[in-house]
Amino acid sequence: MVLLQVEKLEVVYHQVLTAVQGVSLAVRQGQIVALLGTNGAGKTTTLRAVSGFIGLDDARVTAGRILYRGEDIHGLPPHAVARRGVVLVPERDKVFESLTVLENLEVARRCPHQEARRLYDLVFTFFPQLAAVRHRQAGYLSGGERQMLAIASALLCRPQLLLVDELSLGLAPRLVQALMAQLQAIRRELDLTVLLVEQNAAAALAVADYGYVMENGRVVLDGEPSRLRAHPDIREFYLGHGEQQTRRSYRDVKQYRRRRRWYG
Amino acid sequence: MAYASGYFKTSYGAELALVETRLQWAALAALGLGLGLFPLLASPFALDLANQVLLAVIGAVALMLLTGYAGQISLGHAGLLAAGAFTTGILAEEAGAPFWLTVPASGAVGAVLGLVFGLPSLRLKGLYLAVSTLALHFIVAFLGSEYETRHGFSTGILLDSPRLGPVVLDDARLWYGLLLAVAAAVFLFSRNLLRTRTGRAWIALRDRDVVAAALGIPVAAAKLSAFVVSSVLTALAGCLFAYYRGFVSIEAFSLFTTIEYVAMLIIGGLGSLLGAVLGAVFVVTFPYLIDLAVDLLPVPARLSTYVFAVKYAAFGLIMLLFLLLEPEGLLGIWRRVRDYFVLWPFRYRPLAGRS
Amino acid sequence: MQLVVNTLVLAATYALIACGYVLVYRVSRVLNLAHGELMMLGGYLLLTTASLFAGRPLLAVAVALLLSLGLGLLVYVVLMRHFTGESVLAAVLVTIALGILLRGLAILLWTAQLQYPLVALGWQNPALSLGGGAVISAAGLLTLAAVAVVYGGLLLFLRYTPWGIRMRAAGENPLLAAQRGVALPQVLALAWGLATLSGGLAGMLLACDSGIDGTAVIVGLKAFPVALVGGLDSLSGALVGALLVAAAEVLAIAYLDPLVSDVVPFFVLLAMLLLRPWGLFGRREAFERV
Ligand SMILES: Nc1ncnc2c1ncn2[C@@H]1O[C@H](COP(=O)(O)OP(=O)(O)OP(=O)(O)O)[C@@H](O)[C@H]1O
Ligand SMILES: [Mg+2]
Repeated sequence: MVLLQVEKLEVVYHQVLTAVQGVSLAVRQGQIVALLGTNGAGKTTTLRAVSGFIGLDDARVTAGRILYRGEDIHGLPPHAVARRGVVLVPERDKVFESLTVLENLEVARRCPHQEARRLYDLVFTFFPQLAAVRHRQAGYLSGGERQMLAIASALLCRPQLLLVDELSLGLAPRLVQALMAQLQAIRRELDLTVLLVEQNAAAALAVADYGYVMENGRVVLDGEPSRLRAHPDIREFYLGHGEQQTRRSYRDVKQYRRRRRWYG
Repeated sequence: MAYASGYFKTSYGAELALVETRLQWAALAALGLGLGLFPLLASPFALDLANQVLLAVIGAVALMLLTGYAGQISLGHAGLLAAGAFTTGILAEEAGAPFWLTVPASGAVGAVLGLVFGLPSLRLKGLYLAVSTLALHFIVAFLGSEYETRHGFSTGILLDSPRLGPVVLDDARLWYGLLLAVAAAVFLFSRNLLRTRTGRAWIALRDRDVVAAALGIPVAAAKLSAFVVSSVLTALAGCLFAYYRGFVSIEAFSLFTTIEYVAMLIIGGLGSLLGAVLGAVFVVTFPYLIDLAVDLLPVPARLSTYVFAVKYAAFGLIMLLFLLLEPEGLLGIWRRVRDYFVLWPFRYRPLAGRS
Repeated sequence: MQLVVNTLVLAATYALIACGYVLVYRVSRVLNLAHGELMMLGGYLLLTTASLFAGRPLLAVAVALLLSLGLGLLVYVVLMRHFTGESVLAAVLVTIALGILLRGLAILLWTAQLQYPLVALGWQNPALSLGGGAVISAAGLLTLAAVAVVYGGLLLFLRYTPWGIRMRAAGENPLLAAQRGVALPQVLALAWGLATLSGGLAGMLLACDSGIDGTAVIVGLKAFPVALVGGLDSLSGALVGALLVAAAEVLAIAYLDPLVSDVVPFFVLLAMLLLRPWGLFGRREAFERV
């Protein structure tokens, strides 16, 4: 079953800057879907559009639909989206710095204490490091601890679809491997679906069931991880196995130009 | 219609011109004629009202430069008006200073106070700046009332009608002429100033101060100059106000006065000199409209004993409505109506040239 | 000795009013310049309920408090809701306009005369001797108690209850709070309600102590420097700020000139803005985000 369906999404910042132009993607129940792309491709914007903007963002969805379980959720305030089970782990400002770790989790809690206890136990077994600092203010946590806290507090919202923006941001490579593994474990435990934005394409494609590649606000490639991994352009630009040293950027790739005409 | 329906400028000179079309010249001439004939036809009451409007126009344009163009929020406007008025009052009372001396003296005091009011702006922004000017307002008001009580003018300082050469300004018509000339001069001065390097620096500052600094605009100097220019004009308005009333008292410069001026900007439309004029006209005539309404309509007795409270409440309500429904103010309404007719049957300007 | 008592009572009044400014600012970054008027309405509401429920003073007080809470909610739902996420200036101007509207309405509804709700409640306000020649009015004592209860309650509420934690979260990062399922409108409405409730309580105590008329607004305005001196987003800062400002004011009245009293808070405010604009207890980052 298709859980999330994004159709021809278009997002405009400050009424002038079109960051996403006509992105379509689908996430099936139970999958891990990876969203790859260079810096500024519009990945974060896409995720944020799904989870909803508030007035301060000065961003608007100007075209397209965002269907979650068949319901168009675009235009709903973020808290309504979160309560439907679509929860974002944002790229920046992902924890409340003036609150302690436990309070951060408490903000997200929405279920009665009984069930919350189970969730707390769960996140503390997944992230034992968090349990050790549970009374510390989140502003004093390290980057990696913040990332764990952000994921933990997202899990406290009892998500069905977890949107993770840059899981590996600022984390040690070993930790990334561990987190990816944990993500898969969590997914099985909680019956989660995950949409994952990642710079570390190798790590993402290792766990994903499907992948999309974005460029300049558009999806330029999509397919099974095995297919993407085998694709020469992906090998060159994301996995670092360049064969032809002459092509410097994704823009120079014939394949991309063809797709661009197709989408543009 | 008197307006160009699009952007037809082909030279730099045309870009700089204040008036675009011939019809606009005609309209301006008609306006000038109307304003010139007005005192010959108007009743004393209407003349007094017009004079008040002109005084308010000077103050509102001054505040518009500071808040609407340079983006510095000030809640100390009444304090500056009071400073001008008190400088005049004190000089005239203590030293018998004549008109031609008190006017520049008020301006000078305004300039100094502008620096004082502006200094916090080097460190504070937005809300905090507004608060610091508010505090300064209270301090100026306190100094004024202190002077009044210390020197036995607890009801206010009386002023003689000023003398301009052989002419004694004791007639509402003469005042009308003087105020109209000053208001027009202030308007044109501001209009021109906004096209200079200084004016453009202010606008850059308002839109994004960080970017303005990156573009090499001396931010501190630009902020201070905005405060000083605005304060000098405001203090002049205060000086004229004192003479026009023939009377200086701190009662006339309460926080409510500041709010009235801020309301002029909002109701007129922030970021436009014409907006300041429209706002001044509206805010000054508004209480008289209420009076009229209370007289004409059969209202409960309570409303007519507390007319001032009705004015208060209605004024607050109008301000709220503008903020909620028409953030661009009267000018926004005017532009929409004008564009509708100028552009009909089309809906958009081909190129956004003029503002 | 009497000076100390006076300082404490004045500080308590200021602190009670200032916590309304702090609550609203902390959650929504809006400076509520209508708080003085909302506080005054608290006093007037008590006046009305006192005559409505004559002979049952406790009921009258309770109803007046409830009405205050409702008033705050109403202000948010009708007005301020439209200004979340707008420029700070617009929101502040809205509160100024609201203040003027309320001031006019208060005179129309309750006239401009000085009135004493205490008479209608059938209570006395005796001066209690504290020894050493110092006296404190019963209402003053009650104000001190109210500050202890309100601040204690608020601090506990913000620290331990789910709603309090959500409120702090929304104040720090509204977007993230919303993404974690916190309904911002509800949190903001609650903040406005609580702020108006505490302000209304201050207004009622003020009305009981010295009667109520339009000048109550000035007290409300003077409490605003208090909030800023403490740091606009710190409750405990407001307490310290209240003590500081009240002490300065009482000393100025005693040793300088009673007329100075109305500007002293603003002198303190200006000094604070120049030296340490984010306030005694405020967070510097929060200030720089404005
Ligand atoms: N708040 C904002 N205001 C204006 N423009 C923005 C904003 N956020 C992003 N953009 C612009 O939108 C485009 C897409 O940004 P986005 O953050 O979605 O990229 P991204 O794919 O997440 O990049 P990265 O991999 O670096 O995180 C960029 O060109 C960026 O400059
Ligand atoms: Mg990103």
